[in-house]
Amino acid sequence: MQLVSVDVGGTFTDIVSVEDGVIHTTKVPTDLVDSARGVLKGADEVGVRDALVFNHASTAGLNALLTRNLPKVGLITTIGQRDILDIGSNIRPHEAIADPRWRRSFGDANRPLVPRYLRRTVPERMKADGSVFLPLDEDAARREIRVLGRCNVEGVAIGLLNAWTNGVHEQRLAELVREELGDIPVVMSHAVSPVAPEYPRISTTVIDAMMKVIYGDYSGRLQNGLSERGFTGSLNFGDCAAMLAPVETAMDRPSRVVFSGPAAGTTASAHFGRLIGRGNLICVDVGGTSTDVSIVLDGQPIINTSLELEPDMVVTTLSNEIASVGAGGGSLITVGPGGEIQVGPGSAGADPGPACYGRGGVQPTMTDAAVLMGILSPENFLGGKATLDYAAAVRAFESLDTPLSFEQRVQDAFRIGLHNIAEGIVDIVIRNGVDPREFSLVIFGAGGPMLIPSLLDMVKVREAVIPPHPGLFSAIGLLSSDMVFMESQSLMIPLDESAVYAIDAVFEKLEQKVRDEIGSNSSVAKFVRTFDARMAGQAFETAFIDAPDGDIGTRQIEEMVAKFHAVYEQRAGNKFESMPVEAVTFRVQAVVEMPKAEFGAVPRRTEGTPQPIGDLELKYLRDGEKRTGNRFERDDLLDGDVIHGPAVVHERLSTTFVPAGFVLQVGSLGEFVIELEAKK
Amino acid sequence: MIIDESTDRIRNLTEREFEAEYGASRYTCNVLANRSRFVAGHMSTNIVTRAFSPIISLNMDYVCAVVGPPELDYPLVGMNQGNFIFLGSLATGVRKTVEEFGVDRLAPGDLLVSNDPYRVGNHVNDACFIRPVFHGGRIVSFTVIRAHMLDIGGIIPGGFSLFKKNVYENGLVVPPMRIFEKGEPVKEVLRLFLDNGRFAATLLPDFFTINSSCALGDEQIQESVERYGLDAWLGAMRYSLDSSAEAMRRALQTLPDGEYEGEDVLDTDGADSEEIYRFHVTVIKKGKRVEVDLSGSSRQARTSLNATPLDAQTSAALGLKVLLDPQTPFTSGTYRNIDLVIPPGTISSAMPDASTHFYWEVQAALVNALINALAEPLGSRAIGGLYGSTNLHTGSGMTPDGRPWFSAAELEAQFGGWGATDAGDADGHTGTFTLNQRLTPTEEIERRVPVLLTAREYIPDTGGPGKYRGGSGFRKDSLFLADGDHWLMPLHFRFPSGFGVNGGKAGRVGGSWFFENQDPDKPECEYRLVGATDTDGVVVSGVVDENGALDENGEFAFFARVPYWTENKGSTLRWITNGGGGWGDPFEREIEAVIRDVRDGYVTILGALRDYGVVVVGDPDEDPEGLTIDEAATAAARA
Amino acid sequence: MAYDRPTELLVNQERVPAKGKCPECSEEQLFSYPVLSEGGWFKVVKCRHCLASLKRESDPVGQITIFSATI
Ligand SMILES: [Zn+2]
Repeated sequence: MQLVSVDVGGTFTDIVSVEDGVIHTTKVPTDLVDSARGVLKGADEVGVRDALVFNHASTAGLNALLTRNLPKVGLITTIGQRDILDIGSNIRPHEAIADPRWRRSFGDANRPLVPRYLRRTVPERMKADGSVFLPLDEDAARREIRVLGRCNVEGVAIGLLNAWTNGVHEQRLAELVREELGDIPVVMSHAVSPVAPEYPRISTTVIDAMMKVIYGDYSGRLQNGLSERGFTGSLNFGDCAAMLAPVETAMDRPSRVVFSGPAAGTTASAHFGRLIGRGNLICVDVGGTSTDVSIVLDGQPIINTSLELEPDMVVTTLSNEIASVGAGGGSLITVGPGGEIQVGPGSAGADPGPACYGRGGVQPTMTDAAVLMGILSPENFLGGKATLDYAAAVRAFESLDTPLSFEQRVQDAFRIGLHNIAEGIVDIVIRNGVDPREFSLVIFGAGGPMLIPSLLDMVKVREAVIPPHPGLFSAIGLLSSDMVFMESQSLMIPLDESAVYAIDAVFEKLEQKVRDEIGSNSSVAKFVRTFDARMAGQAFETAFIDAPDGDIGTRQIEEMVAKFHAVYEQRAGNKFESMPVEAVTFRVQAVVEMPKAEFGAVPRRTEGTPQPIGDLELKYLRDGEKRTGNRFERDDLLDGDVIHGPAVVHERLSTTFVPAGFVLQVGSLGEFVIELEAKK
Repeated sequence: MIIDESTDRIRNLTEREFEAEYGASRYTCNVLANRSRFVAGHMSTNIVTRAFSPIISLNMDYVCAVVGPPELDYPLVGMNQGNFIFLGSLATGVRKTVEEFGVDRLAPGDLLVSNDPYRVGNHVNDACFIRPVFHGGRIVSFTVIRAHMLDIGGIIPGGFSLFKKNVYENGLVVPPMRIFEKGEPVKEVLRLFLDNGRFAATLLPDFFTINSSCALGDEQIQESVERYGLDAWLGAMRYSLDSSAEAMRRALQTLPDGEYEGEDVLDTDGADSEEIYRFHVTVIKKGKRVEVDLSGSSRQARTSLNATPLDAQTSAALGLKVLLDPQTPFTSGTYRNIDLVIPPGTISSAMPDASTHFYWEVQAALVNALINALAEPLGSRAIGGLYGSTNLHTGSGMTPDGRPWFSAAELEAQFGGWGATDAGDADGHTGTFTLNQRLTPTEEIERRVPVLLTAREYIPDTGGPGKYRGGSGFRKDSLFLADGDHWLMPLHFRFPSGFGVNGGKAGRVGGSWFFENQDPDKPECEYRLVGATDTDGVVVSGVVDENGALDENGEFAFFARVPYWTENKGSTLRWITNGGGGWGDPFEREIEAVIRDVRDGYVTILGALRDYGVVVVGDPDEDPEGLTIDEAATAAARA
Repeated sequence: MAYDRPTELLVNQERVPAKGKCPECSEEQLFSYPVLSEGGWFKVVKCRHCLASLKRESDPVGQITIFSATI
């Protein structure tokens, strides 16, 4: 059984093929002119004739948004509401709160997604209860649509106020657009995201229309190319929660797949956690510029109902909750005004990269600190395929303008970078109200194993786990997931007997829609009903509370209220059972189980101890810390092996650093489990 | 107290000198200084994700802070970057509360509360919660939360009335008391709040969330003291304060020595239209020292349009930071070289028993006056003036089917245009520097309140012209679907607020109107959708001609000529906000930028010629991409 | 304690001339008045010319005496 996944990044396209527990990976440059061609080239390398699935993720849409290299899309909205997209939710990001030069990144004074002249308004008005206050003026609408036609828009988004309660004006406008402009992508807000309120819904609608243009014939070419290569399995897209959708479903609502890369790491962790019997995970993905932190609770990633692509630029779609901390392997080390060492948020990026890469970088980075400390060894870097320029790292640290000694600079830099990441982990733990002592850190991303084990005692987790292939672990996420069809609908209604028929009706409607999408797979799908709700007077919702199947009567509603209070207590720590509860959004998901990546077992050691490949001599540690130990090669280690820090384990794409006072044990799938010695 | 003059003393300390001075290494002090800010941030994460009140969880009307112990004189050392309105009150207000209560009476797990503006600044809704952090039997810090309580009693639900004449009309004043004792709620004190405030059921959970957030900060500080030692913790606080003082001194070095005066003006206090309220700011800068003198400012108001000196201190420091040093973290060390001179009894330093409910309007005017004062010396670094007042609205009434309705601070015009800067054009819909609040979505308002927000759109030719344009003014129309009474509090429509800088021009001044429904019996669907150019409204506030249209040579209409506005269903309330100030000579604006503004409807063809000397040809509405420039005529106009 | 509203429209801070000589710039124009700074209210004697403080005395009470706090 062969499973293939492809992750199209801005520079490289990663291809992973798993066959009988053997994971094969390859990297090809992303074809920026025709990214389908690049993907098909990757398909040729691994062969897809026998593949069961071809799961796909791409940053092309996201990059287009972030760089504003966007198709020309018009927005039609309610009279008087032309500037919803300029205003957003009006909030300033923390770092800009006292900055007079700050402007909303997507505002008209900066880089709007849809310039104001392509945001057209039409006389019509829906009320909050779904009744028509002002009928649609079709003549006026046609005039506005013709203006968009004159400007040669490639797609049209329709986002009217209160349309989630009644979509008839949006539907009529869509017809008018087709009559006037022919067959171009048209997206209606009540269809793409039938939830309140207006800004996130209309923002999602616009982004969805743009993704339709961007991915439009790409997915067609990809499908054709794959079948030409003999592929008969299913082509799926990974979404913002790394759940899979068949290509037709994904292309029907492409805003769902706009940000699929980072989510995959969390899902890969959840899958791997299940295989090694761990359900509570804090996933730490260390990249060059930043570290992404996310949580898996009882085997499930924590999911948000919306996603921010830039501060306040919102897409309402389910997404794995990921907090990004501005510190990674390439984070720049600088000197603060008091002569103190600072780490990040600036980064050396991919080019020139850390000074030790010898590609012209002159400023020191976290990776340079690791080289100087002796963690990274010039001989064993990237499996000996690349060399490290030790002298350049020295020069970079020497160039810092501070009264601190050289030794102090390196030592401070490494530890402060770790502190920044540790605080980011603590914050997401608090946000989700979980107790870290019951959690394992799962560490991946090329720089992760080198940095993160050292902060084990700062965040008070149970242990750290380094899975096999930490350098490309995220890519396995697309082969760790199920196919999920989903629909949601806002309906704000108090959870008491008055809600009986309304809730039934909304669940039935959603389930019917989902069944239509699935088609023949319907019988194997597992249907899951959930709802989002809040207590009276509360300003935010508690999402994804399980709802009973079947008819919703008074008893089931009581059950939903009880469930709400239980979930609220679990997430927020307090219980207020006397408060009335109001439902806000109802959701239906249909889960179709998919084959997943397997990890081959590592044999158990029957005799002897792991043999080091060399000596480890560490520098720039705190006084009294043990400085000498051994270096190992990951391929030499077997199930049950125990290694005491300080030690370093090398593998092709990363290096694991076990500090003094820590102990590493190898598990049955080759994973490393690192704990404090004292705890052991 | 040492008044240090150096701007790079800390940097020049050797490692040995540093440790001798601060009792720990640079590294440790650095980690712990960051730690206090992170602790405040973690407390903030805890409260914002769990608070019930929308004013906390959505509008983020709160701050979390770490304050140093009595032996360091209660300095503010770490805060989350939330609303800056509370800044000035944190250190001095905490000291006042703790000392009056008695430091010796405090025990681990206690939570003090006080909301008296004359003790802790701000207004009575902003309760100040203080938890002592003990280590080895000694207070090593306080974790502090200042948060807006939805209601604290008084003459109007929510409290947002300008027309409160004294503190007694504000509602409950709580002197320093213990609301949690050794971790357990003091029920009689909770009852005092709950029995005096409306919406008690929403308030109750918030008290518990605030307590648990302060406890979380306490626990994290104890961990750090345990790990690094008490000397390091205290030394890091001193280091943090000294660093902020140095940062502000470095920033001040970029301002030439001199005496600079500036002013902002609020229209009236709502008692009558005769007395205009002036905010006069003199900045005296000599070397690294600064005095901000509010002499020459108006006496205190007869209504609740007042603030305390602690609130004025917020504005003085924040204004200087916005202009000179927006990035470095804020501590009470930031104030070290800034002396605020503030005579008693001004609108910014009201004396008991005046009400200070509208203190944030005073703070915003003070910041604008300070920006105005430094416009000349800062030259190209100057920033244009902002939009002025938050123009609050409170309304209530009965729906046609007999249900009461209530709305506060959402049908107002709280946001507006910023001034342009050397970085480019400014946004037209943003909060003041002192506030950072989320906009309540239209669809959420319309679900609760019988109203349709029929417009929120920018108006052409309102942003201050300049090489870079100020934020545009916008029109916000609310069509009421039920009878109601409306309290309106527009405070900056008499004089421009968005002054231009560096050769830029002022943004246009706005106003407020009611378009009344003449025929309450007609069916709802026939209510008139008021057009953008209609002028037949009753002016609430603004400088207008005899027909009620804006006219800078007209007469000022006084909004409080009636105590409140009673309007029948079908009436529309309109706001037009002030534009922000422009930056640089508008005739130097790039022609492409002018044509883009015409295309986008920010500038009219007429405005392009008048304000920018650019002759645009075409029909921006029907054929926006077909606009062209008459180059010869433009050259002539700009000559 | 309740205070009266000032009778003058615009209010000025009174600065009382003080005797002495500025140690930094030798200026003799010195004034005594209250200021609000790091650490709260201070009674200061400052040089008008260079703003150097000759005296800074902390004043925990400040402008307002709260009647109930005096019991
Ligand atoms: Zn002097």
